[in-house]
Amino acid sequence: MQRTVTVASRVGLHARPAAVFVKAASAATLPVTIAKEGKEPVSARSILAVLGLDVRGGEDVVLEAEGDGAEDVLSRLAELLTEDLEG
Amino acid sequence: MRAVPLPVVAPVSGRAIALAEVPDAVFAQHMVGPGAAIDPVRGPGVVVSPVSGILVKLKPHAFVVTAEDGRGVLVHLGIDTVNLDGGGFVLLAEEGGVVPAGAPVIRWNPAAVEAAGLSPVCPVIALDADRAAAVSLAGSVALGSVRAGDRLFTWA
Repeated sequence: MQRTVTVASRVGLHARPAAVFVKAASAATLPVTIAKEGKEPVSARSILAVLGLDVRGGEDVVLEAEGDGAEDVLSRLAELLTEDLEG
Repeated sequence: MRAVPLPVVAPVSGRAIALAEVPDAVFAQHMVGPGAAIDPVRGPGVVVSPVSGILVKLKPHAFVVTAEDGRGVLVHLGIDTVNLDGGGFVLLAEEGGVVPAGAPVIRWNPAAVEAAGLSPVCPVIALDADRAAAVSLAGSVALGSVRAGDRLFTWA
């Protein structure tokens, strides 16, 4: 199951917003991947991998998870990315 | 288990402090990862790579180097410095290039960052470190006066 979401944080998924996102993804019951559109997905639980994506504010990312509860997990993480995590 | 402890050197000269002292909750609460921070000497300075490896990400205000075994270290130059949009930072290395520990990466001026109303404190973070590594790392931090290139902590 996939979910495409636009990253709201103006600075993109850099140190602080990335840390908040990875912490939430690590707490999720299912493994989640994150990718820039058309690019290789990486583990949403790895801060190194997420920083490596170099996602800018306003860019779309694709979240993916499979299994029971995937929809809930993706909804929560997608919602997080639509907030300005720099706040 | 990783066989070789990774020595991480200070990227800037100054005073090494615990992450808890960083004036940013996300860094102070170790949410980005364990590590240490340096309150840098005020004045123009060169930031060096904390480990030998590949400069996988290079921004004016922050960079990530991955060591040969894949472990990544983040250096963040000041707090909220992304808002300076690169002003006052000069890149001395290229993203994707190989950098030895201690090699110049960025030229900056912590005094100018402070004059802009921001904290120039530099978190140095072990990315994706597990809990056990975080504990041993915290115990290895060389607090107090450091010079760029001196051992800051060891990532076991």
